[in-house]
Amino acid sequence: MIFDLELILDSIPQMLMGLGLTLQLLFLSLALGTALAIILLLMRISGRWVLAAPAMAYIYIFRGTPILVQIFIIYYGLPQLELVRESILWPILREPFGCAIVALSLNTGAYVSEIFRGGVLGVDRGLKEAASALGLSARQRFIYITAPIAIRLSLPAYSNDVVSLMKSTALASTITLLDMTGIARTIVAETYAPYEVFLSLMVIYLVLTWMIQRSFGWIEKRMSRHVRSEI
Amino acid sequence: MEVLTGWWDDFFWGSLVVVKLFFVALILTVLFGLIGSAAKLSKNRVANAIANGYTIVFRGTPEILVLLLFYFGSAIALTALAQVFDPDVKFVDFPPFWAGSLAIALIIGSYATETFRGAFLGVDSGQIEAARALGLSNLQTFIYVRIPAMWRLALPPFGNHMLSLIKDTALVAIIGLEETLFVAEQAIGYTAKPFTLYLVVGAIYLGFSTIITLTVMLCEKYANRHLEIAK
Repeated sequence: MIFDLELILDSIPQMLMGLGLTLQLLFLSLALGTALAIILLLMRISGRWVLAAPAMAYIYIFRGTPILVQIFIIYYGLPQLELVRESILWPILREPFGCAIVALSLNTGAYVSEIFRGGVLGVDRGLKEAASALGLSARQRFIYITAPIAIRLSLPAYSNDVVSLMKSTALASTITLLDMTGIARTIVAETYAPYEVFLSLMVIYLVLTWMIQRSFGWIEKRMSRHVRSEI
Repeated sequence: MEVLTGWWDDFFWGSLVVVKLFFVALILTVLFGLIGSAAKLSKNRVANAIANGYTIVFRGTPEILVLLLFYFGSAIALTALAQVFDPDVKFVDFPPFWAGSLAIALIIGSYATETFRGAFLGVDSGQIEAARALGLSNLQTFIYVRIPAMWRLALPPFGNHMLSLIKDTALVAIIGLEETLFVAEQAIGYTAKPFTLYLVVGAIYLGFSTIITLTVMLCEKYANRHLEIAK
């Protein structure tokens, strides 16, 4: 077993061709998933049973099943239903890219909404009481007091979720998409050199993970600068 | 539901494979987690570096990539090894069950390493000192004092790791192990009802997740039973 250095140097640029797709999957589903998470969060903390129950059921189902199964249900499963084939969403759900985005967003939304809920619950009650004593309405309290603190509290967990979303984008390769993992699998099928190809791809993913963690570390530091200056 | 006629037993055996995979990987996960956290907490620099490298690599790369590397990589390594003894051997396959459980256990084990490390650090140092004062040896302190106290702290996050573990078992279908997702793929070949069949897989996994969540809740109650009286 000797490492084929030439193959490594040859395959890395090929795999990096899929970086764009990986990043597209990451950022699009992160944006959509976060928006969904906010809606789910508001439903859960609304205090109204009719809103909270569906949100809880949604979170329970999407956190309780493997993302791979969710991707397969959406990509392979939904076209079975005539309702879906005739709906306006069909142009999106017909393409593997659209399906991957939908599946990743729906999945990450469930996780992120739980993270945000933890942040909202972590906000000191005294602050909310002070805000209502100052005469702020419930909506003002949420926007000006709860949300900024909750965002800061949920950032560390959120950054972990971004990393795991980035790792989940690799599953798009199972529905024929040629992201970095998809390209790597094609190369391995041709050359049968899993060590060289997969190990170099793991290094690429590690760099991505590192970059995500570094940027969130920077944002966290910035958002808690008032805490640091007190010390 | 008539779609499922004749496939019930296959789904049953597939679920059994998931359960077997879960328990084998769970035991290995605890093992890797304990070894990893011990290495991280030790004063030995080499052990520290290895454990840090381990957690960085396995927490920062996509699960599917680790799995593919283990499956294809081990086949190549085994073939090379077999050819040393018998040059006529063309190909030796590593059983997907073991490649899968090893890969999943290493991934979840890297998360467990961090959890256990934090939990060991969370054990009150007064308890350790008390154990020393009572004349307990290092090993006795570890087994009778550190482990029970640490376990209580580690249980809630470890429950989440178990949920990730059961969901990651779905990935093993990609390397051809006959678990539920694989059974569904075969059934779809006959019935052309992907939506129904993948939903069945999702329901099976949701059932497993629910069982794990409830078990962890019971375990937590049991672990904290001495605190109930104090309330």
